[in-house]
Amino acid sequence: MTLRSFARIATVVAACALVSVGCSKKEEAPPPPVAETPKPVPFRITSMDLGKRLDADKKVVAPTAIFGVRDTIHLSIASEGAAPNVTLRALWKFEDGQVVADDAQLLAPTDVAQSEFHILKNSPWPKGKYSVEVFTDTTSAGRKEFIVQ
Amino acid sequence: MNADQPKKPDFSDVVAGHSSTAPIPPEAPPTEMAYTVVSGDSLSKIAKKLYGDANKWRVLFEANRDQIENPDLIHPGQVLKVPAL
Repeated sequence: MTLRSFARIATVVAACALVSVGCSKKEEAPPPPVAETPKPVPFRITSMDLGKRLDADKKVVAPTAIFGVRDTIHLSIASEGAAPNVTLRALWKFEDGQVVADDAQLLAPTDVAQSEFHILKNSPWPKGKYSVEVFTDTTSAGRKEFIVQ
Repeated sequence: MNADQPKKPDFSDVVAGHSSTAPIPPEAPPTEMAYTVVSGDSLSKIAKKLYGDANKWRVLFEANRDQIENPDLIHPGQVLKVPAL
């Protein structure tokens, strides 16, 4: 093999290699978009509803603030955000401030959640005005008033 | 007792309950919480409700020695400290 023919072959090989690199470059998939890590949302209550019945998702079927003396009173609480542990507390009171019930549940929410508290009474409810105040840990998160008539 | 004073309604037969779609933390809370005594409560009843074990009434008693002298005598409206287990 002469030096000239060797140089020619080398040129052809180099050209092929370039073409090959060019082609393979075209076939490469575009880099995947960098997924942004969502910032954790702190836990907070987004809504509270009172009603006589809950659906399977723990949501009040027909919100109301008026109950009968034999009704079970449901409080449905929608929340969002995450917390390693949070105490959700419902403090139910009768009109003069008399405590009717004080109930709490300890949760570790990771996202949107639906929680509920309910009270029922074996004998008829005394007629009058009631309230329920919800606390997340020791902070009041809202208050609802209702009437038994 | 004053006979003219209206009788307070009795809520001792109220049953309270709760549930959630959120998971429950694997451990007991690291912080204490408060509990308001309602009519019909006893320390063992509260311990059963909050700790799931009526025998833990002594934990409540010890945490509230400053306001409970007799563990069989607690009053509606009393706010008890509920320590983490």
